Amino acid sequence: MAINRWIQSGNYRRSYKEDQTIFATFSEQASLIVFLIFLALVPHMPFMNRQLFRVVDLAFIYTIAVMGLNIVTGYAGQINIGQAAFMGVGAYAAVTITRDIATPLFQFGKTLPFWYIIILLPLSGLVAALVGAFVGLPSYRLKHLYLAIATLAFQIIFTWGVGHSPFLNQGGSIRIARLDFFGTVIKGSKTIGPFFYYFALIVLIIMAIAMRNILRSKYGRALIAVRDNDRAADAMGINPGLTKVYAFAISGFFAGVAGAIFALYNGSVIVESFSLSTSIDFLAMAIVGGLGTMVGSLIGPSFMLFLDPFVEKFSGFAQTIFPSTIDVATAMRPTIFGLIIVLFLIYEPRGLANWWRLLRQYFWRWPFKY
Amino acid sequence: MSEKKSQLVIDNVILSFGGLNALTNVSIGIESGAITSIIGPNGAGKTSLLNCISGFYKATSGSIKFEGIELVGKSPYQISKLGIARAFQNIELFSGLSVLDNLMLARHTHLKYSFFESLFFYGKCQNQEIINREYVEGIIDFMELEEYRKAVVGELSYGIRKRVEMARALTLDPKLLLLDEPMAGMNLGEKEDIVRFILDIKAERDIAVVLIEHDLGVVMDISDYVYVLDFGMKIASGIPDVVAKDPAVITAYVGGESLI
Repeated sequence: MAINRWIQSGNYRRSYKEDQTIFATFSEQASLIVFLIFLALVPHMPFMNRQLFRVVDLAFIYTIAVMGLNIVTGYAGQINIGQAAFMGVGAYAAVTITRDIATPLFQFGKTLPFWYIIILLPLSGLVAALVGAFVGLPSYRLKHLYLAIATLAFQIIFTWGVGHSPFLNQGGSIRIARLDFFGTVIKGSKTIGPFFYYFALIVLIIMAIAMRNILRSKYGRALIAVRDNDRAADAMGINPGLTKVYAFAISGFFAGVAGAIFALYNGSVIVESFSLSTSIDFLAMAIVGGLGTMVGSLIGPSFMLFLDPFVEKFSGFAQTIFPSTIDVATAMRPTIFGLIIVLFLIYEPRGLANWWRLLRQYFWRWPFKY
Repeated sequence: MSEKKSQLVIDNVILSFGGLNALTNVSIGIESGAITSIIGPNGAGKTSLLNCISGFYKATSGSIKFEGIELVGKSPYQISKLGIARAFQNIELFSGLSVLDNLMLARHTHLKYSFFESLFFYGKCQNQEIINREYVEGIIDFMELEEYRKAVVGELSYGIRKRVEMARALTLDPKLLLLDEPMAGMNLGEKEDIVRFILDIKAERDIAVVLIEHDLGVVMDISDYVYVLDFGMKIASGIPDVVAKDPAVITAYVGGESLI
């Protein structure tokens, strides 16, 4: 992924190996470490409360799902309006595997041991990846909007199917046991917030590294090739159909892992969490963050989720102005988020990632303008 | 032609779209290590023929054999793996990527590592990337693209993009290179560059080149063998000097005057 990246003067690349590095310069490496230390310290800050923990934890979980969406939509160029359903598949896989296979097999009591979770996450991801590959099969023939409709159909079928299967409690709440983290049971808001903060963050970092590595290998390049020009990709010896299907599979894997963490985080699964509107939220997060950029999928979800409390406050304020017969508060959230998406699409289709790029360039060139 | 061993044998190929025959009983043999040109007026079926070879069109009947392997019915990516590379007439590069990444993409089948190895990157994946990067740098050197290595393809000029297109086909390390009008819309200097590259490809890399070109001066200068198509039919073939004097060719092109 050597897209025309400017590096500060004084940094020379003497071998092809050095040219592959992600964080090449000292300042990049240093700022990354500082940022990671900051992230590690956040839960100990005095301002962290229950609501804020929920926002941050959800942001991490959603980021994992949005990274997957960015692979299939941003990099491979296949619109996917069913990411929440893939996340749901992961969540339901985690819950049912625990309920019907693991609990009778390993005789779990009221809590789940930590080693089981380590196995459960990739397993749920794998189930979602298989479903993703299956849903991606139409991409052999369909393109653009038609494929989007196919993924939309999967979203609808998922919600309907879960709602009509007694095995999944007809979409009602299914409980999953709480975690036992080496003697400490993760229960109650005091422990759930910080535990899942670190847990989701570590999973997120591992997934982000994996994604970055995929993207700088031949598999990542094949995705971009299929997006930019699938005819030429075909002539380069890349099987475009297979590439799209595996993009869907990777995307499903990410969503599945996110779904499994989501299930563990909430302690239960309910079908409403994986509705069409969540899928569209994911798409919005990916677009606002910046499609086809790694940074975008990391910023987008946090931006949208941190905006949420402000929007809620604002809609409460708006309610006081309008007469109570007009229900402004409930209409405000979709209106504002819809407006944000539209404004981003018009004025900054490259998303927040582009702002990030400009900001970085500004500091690199400072005190010069160019 | 028949007494020599041909690398690519196109035998009685018919390509029809509904009632319209784009190619009618075309039989062509392409020798290894030679420059074979296919010429003809617009709409003669030259690009259709290349599309049949590289798998984008499926010949309605007839056979296309590359080193004894039947190509009809194979997908483009399978044909590409056999060693047939194609440079498109209308530039079909990955416009959002740098020149380097475009060329690295052409190494896709040569990068031998599994998906799981790519997840960890370090180790086999990195070694493979470096080995293939060295190969790509060789091509960049050969095609004189050093200064554009990290430039995004979409921002380059037409002439350079055409050259990148050729370089990318070459990066596939093919045995047969199909060039579809590599000099279309170029000025004299750029044309001379491309001609030099084609001759170098033949001389240094021993790759057979199939050239479609409208500039007859170039074709007659560099080709070892020329086929002439008109309305989907082969009307003449032979060494350039013979073809240039063929009355059927002269009629097809200009209607009575000598070509050169």
